Parts: sequence; C-alpha cells; structure tokens
Amino acid sequence: MLTESVLTHENSPFEPPTTRRARKEHTRRLLIDGALDEMAERGIMATRTIDVANRAGVAHGTVFVHFPTREHMVEAVVAEHASRVALRLHELARDGIAVRDVLEAHLAGLGEHEAFYARLVMEGPLLPDYPRATLLGIQSAISAHLAEAAEREMAAGTIRAMPVHLLFNTWLGLVHHYLSNRDLFAPGESVVERWGPTLLDHYLGLIRPDEEDG
Amino acid sequence: MTAQATHCVACGMPMSAPEDHAMSDSTKDYCHHCARPDGSMVSRDEAREGLTAFMVKTQGIDESAARSAVDEMMAKLPAWRES
Repeated sequence: MLTESVLTHENSPFEPPTTRRARKEHTRRLLIDGALDEMAERGIMATRTIDVANRAGVAHGTVFVHFPTREHMVEAVVAEHASRVALRLHELARDGIAVRDVLEAHLAGLGEHEAFYARLVMEGPLLPDYPRATLLGIQSAISAHLAEAAEREMAAGTIRAMPVHLLFNTWLGLVHHYLSNRDLFAPGESVVERWGPTLLDHYLGLIRPDEEDG
Repeated sequence: MTAQATHCVACGMPMSAPEDHAMSDSTKDYCHHCARPDGSMVSRDEAREGLTAFMVKTQGIDESAARSAVDEMMAKLPAWRES
C-alpha cells in the first residue's frame, strides 16, 4: 500500500513530502532486507538492532524511526518473508495441479529464501506469538494447495487415502528435518537444491498406492 | 480507478489473477475463499471459524492452538485489525 502511494506520486511536481516519503520507504526496505540477511546468518532472536543498522549502513537510531521496538522489527521482517514465500507459492502452485507439482512449487518457493526459512523453522517454538503464527500462515499457504490436489488424487486412486494433515505433516517433517540440519546435509550450499529431488521422489513413493491396491 | 490489491484483506492470500478475487472481480479486495455465495465478504466470526477449521483439517493442529494463531494473524489483517 505504501509502495503504491509512493509510485502514484513519484513523478508529481509536489516533491518535498513525496520525496521524503520515498526516501523513508527506501530506508525501510534497506532495513528489512538487511535484517533478513542478518537473521538468516545469526538467527532471528540473536540478531540485535545494531546488527541490522550496520548491515543496512544506517545509524542505529534510524532503526527505531521505523520500528518502535526490536519486537516490531522481528514482526515486520517475518511478515515480509512470509509474504514473499506465499506469493511465490501462489504463482507456482496454480489451481488444478498435481500433488507432485504442488510439492515442487513448495521446494522452489522455499529454496529462494532457504536460509531465513530454516531459521524460522528452527526457532519456531521459541518465537513470540505473531511470528510463530506467521510461520503457520506460510504452512497454510502450502497445505491449502496440497489438500486440494491430494483430495482429487485420492479420489482418483493415484495416491493412498489418508487424512490430509498426516499427508502434509509427513512431507513437512521430512523437509524441515533437512532444513534444520542444513549444515549436516548440505554444508555451504542449498539443501533444497542438493536434496529436494531425492526427498520428492522418496515421498511420492511413500504415498503411492501399493500395486495390489491399484 | 481502484488499484488492484495484492493480498486479500480478510485472510492475507496473495491475489495475482482476477479469479483469485471474489467473483473474479479485481476491484474486490477480498479473495474467493472469503466471499459468501452472494459475493459479500464473510464476517469476522465466519472468517475466524473458517480459517481455524482449515488449519485443523490440513495441518492437524489442536483446535484451540489453531484459533490462537488465527487470532494473531487476523489482528494484523486490514479487514479485522483494530484502529
């Protein structure tokens, strides 16, 4: 919304308030992007406001112009991450696609933001209520697409019949285990890139109906 | 002219295509999941119960824990936040 208003007035001849607003929005973007990188490296709760200021190249006090408290900053950063992941999933996982395609979209969406997402998963139970709820929101974005595809495929007999929450949690447990231990499974590289195709094939094999069932 | 919303004001779902919006109407700022059959937006209670039931069904989360998470999320959504 803020971005829209900035864009709308970008070329207005009435520059002063607009320019200041645009500059403020630019600084906020620098802070959010800096915080995403810093938290991916250090951890979400371990990152201090001074770390974010240094990363963004602004004075420490500038952080508090945009976020009254550290907690507000964490909320904004987690919300931004969730928004990016949800948007990517939404673009990739259109209605009517197969379970395999939904899971591929999930991996692709996470892979682009893997380091921060892994932190979110690892720190989930320790996070304040809103960031934690935001993680559940990201999961809802994928479970919505998966449930729709799975119910269709269960009816068609191309995957085994089971409650959709178990189908979802079995997949999530597998992916989250690899992400939480990315230093062991893929040190210095993307665990989604290195292990994603293997995990996907393995999981699809688990949910495929037995020969005699089909 | 109304700018096209990028997220549903009632549940936060991204909306990038006309069919994501209620009644495939891009001027509506809520999504097709948050629309009643007549096209009007669901009430706060309907949204709360719908999102909670969805989380329980697709993620297996305990109902009261799911409702708490939904309350947290709804408090930040434009359609429901205070002030």
